[in-house]
Amino acid sequence: MQYAPTKGIKAHMKSRLFYKIFGTYLVIIVLSMAIIGFLVGKEVKNKLMGKIEYDLITYARMINLTSPKKEIEKNVVQLARISNARITLIDTAGKVLADSEKDVSRMDNHLNRPEIQEAKVLDKGTATRFSHTLGVDMFYVALPVKSDSRAIGYIRLARPLVEIKNSVRKLYGLIFQSFVIILVLSFLIAFIFFSRLTSPIQEMEQFTKRLREGEDPGTLMIDSSDEMGRLARNINYMVMELQERVRSANEEKGKLEAAFASMTDGVLVLDSQDKIEASNEAFKDIFGVKYRDIIGKTPVEAFRNIELQNALDRFKETGMPVSQEVVLEDGEQIILDINVSSIHGLPNGEEKTMVVFHDFTRLKKLEKMRVDFVANITHEIKTPLTAILGFIETLQEGAIEEKETARKFLETIYRHAGRLNRLVEDLLTISDIELGEMKFFFESVSLSGVVENVLPVIESKAVEKGLVIDKNIPEELSPVRADRDRLAQILLNVLDNAVKFTPESGKVSITAFDDKKGYVIVSISDTGVGIPEDEIPRLGERFYRVDKTRSRELGGTGLGLSIVKHLMIAHKGRIEIESRLGRGTTVFLSFPVFEGAVNI
Amino acid sequence: MKEKKLTSTHYERELREVKKSLIYLGALAEKAIQDATTSLLERNSDLAHEVIAGDDQINKLDVEIEEKCIRLLALRQPAARDLRFITTAIKINGHLERIGDMAVNIAKRALILNEEPQLKPYIDLPRMADITRGMIRESLDALINEDCDLANKVRRDDEMVDNLNEQIFRELLTFMIEDPRTIHRAILITQISKNLERVSDHAESIADMVIYMVTGKSVRHQFRGEKHEK
Repeated sequence: MQYAPTKGIKAHMKSRLFYKIFGTYLVIIVLSMAIIGFLVGKEVKNKLMGKIEYDLITYARMINLTSPKKEIEKNVVQLARISNARITLIDTAGKVLADSEKDVSRMDNHLNRPEIQEAKVLDKGTATRFSHTLGVDMFYVALPVKSDSRAIGYIRLARPLVEIKNSVRKLYGLIFQSFVIILVLSFLIAFIFFSRLTSPIQEMEQFTKRLREGEDPGTLMIDSSDEMGRLARNINYMVMELQERVRSANEEKGKLEAAFASMTDGVLVLDSQDKIEASNEAFKDIFGVKYRDIIGKTPVEAFRNIELQNALDRFKETGMPVSQEVVLEDGEQIILDINVSSIHGLPNGEEKTMVVFHDFTRLKKLEKMRVDFVANITHEIKTPLTAILGFIETLQEGAIEEKETARKFLETIYRHAGRLNRLVEDLLTISDIELGEMKFFFESVSLSGVVENVLPVIESKAVEKGLVIDKNIPEELSPVRADRDRLAQILLNVLDNAVKFTPESGKVSITAFDDKKGYVIVSISDTGVGIPEDEIPRLGERFYRVDKTRSRELGGTGLGLSIVKHLMIAHKGRIEIESRLGRGTTVFLSFPVFEGAVNI
Repeated sequence: MKEKKLTSTHYERELREVKKSLIYLGALAEKAIQDATTSLLERNSDLAHEVIAGDDQINKLDVEIEEKCIRLLALRQPAARDLRFITTAIKINGHLERIGDMAVNIAKRALILNEEPQLKPYIDLPRMADITRGMIRESLDALINEDCDLANKVRRDDEMVDNLNEQIFRELLTFMIEDPRTIHRAILITQISKNLERVSDHAESIADMVIYMVTGKSVRHQFRGEKHEK
């Protein structure tokens, strides 16, 4: 049995339960004491009365037998002392002849006293009444005094009842004393009983409080086999069961939430009033911060999108799942495939709507790129082909006869065929890289050597345009890890672009340095036309041209930088382009340093 | 008691319905303006036709919203906030409908311009269209979120649109002076620019209404004061 240490007597006193228990005791004690007191008092009183009556009658008889009337009259005081009673002698007329305690002459006629009347009729009379003569409650016994079996007077003996009263009072005093003792005892017993009863109850109270507040309640330790113990065991069992259920419910919920959160498609849950109730992580990923404060809004408020609202309205009308393509255009374009359906099996028969957003912006873009690619390539091939066919037709129609014209035409045809050839070659290169069929042989390559090899190819073109080529490659530069031929191709493509887009008497410079972070950076800058800033990210795209007509005039295929980009990726390098319109462009190519070189 | 609750939820639903329709109308108007300007900038006549055809829906919704608002006013006798919202809604509704009409105006002019060679590359016009569209969007955002700051931003943006409108006009004027053959196209473009400028005015008015709706307290006190004097 454990007593709660913080709960003292004071706490018990405050407890209403304690008063209930103690009150019950009190009622029982008072009632039993009262009944006992009443019954015992009555019994004692009766017994004492009986004894007094018996005493007085015995004395009266003895006096009657032993002394004649005269004697009695004379010795009334002594007799009274012996019998410890007041003795009165009365004649048949009721006149008091003698009295042990009062002056006879001052006493009135006693014939009408009930005990005398009774004695007259029954030979013996008793009465209890207040004596005016003595001023106390008295018990009277009267017997006729006989002479030759004829009553010649009455002898009356009386004792005050104070004695009985005192005895009864004494008894009541004893009863009261025991009452007080029992009261104190019962208080103590109640206190102990209360403690025994309430300490488990209080413990249970604490236990349930902890449970309610969501703390770990532990186990109820009540080692008892009575109802309390059984109750405690039941509670323990119940709590265990409850915790198990909560745990499994949480687990279930966790699983669902995890599934909800880790879905790659965005999900919105709308409540029965069509307000947005919840969204998952993927939704936030798709829509970003712009649609952060949407919880509690309706979709039309949150998205302001007509197609989405139409889909929702259609779902509301038909009750059938709706799937639709929706384009959100707020700054950036997001192309979504949305599915609207209802959520079944909710408690309380609630009706909720689920909207699933599948983002296929990237797919759409890829699709568009593919379509663009086909359109571009067709166009790129068609242009030279048309020219070639046109010139051949003209030649066939007789131009071949004019030698000078024919020669010019053939030159043009040759040039266009050359362009077609370059185009096809470039395309093959790209597809080889993309398909991973291009074989790279990575080795330690000295940059300056490659640049030496490449420059003569470019120089002739540069000299034609009167450009200055400035080369600054330090001899001691670390060798890079590269495929020698591909590196040459990269440099050639970039330098070719630089020369192509730099107006006459401009300057193209090529420098290289080690960034000390494992890369050698080659920068090729020109004083050319430059590229608008917002077009720089698109430069690596196939057939992307900043200035379409001009580039084509210069004989580009629109694939040069695309090839460079792919080759740089294959080299694990990077390409960065900086440009200002009208000022020129700088291309930074970073190649990884050949790491094996240190060991050689 | 139960019946009272029932009617009040019904009333709330009607209010929600109005708000929803109003925002839907706003989305339609915004899209109309966007499509109309796109039809011009990308020379897409199909889109222009779509905008012109789409105005029917805007007009229909305009009438519908107005009817709903009047019904609410007549049957429910809304008070305080709701009353302010409904009166504001009626006005905003009108503005949005006018924006739809502006979009049609722009689309019609775009149709004519698309038949002719482009006068000059558009630089200021797309900016103006972007700002204007943003203003419609933000004024509605302000309405939904009861955001006075945003409403104030919309009001400030109006000045930018006004300036752009003047700039476009001045630029086109030089074109017209240099070459009278451009006058027809230039006038159409100035009209489009003017239309956009008016759209921005409407957006500004919506923003004004939002501010009234949100901070309408002082107005209401005035109103109560006047009533008291009577």
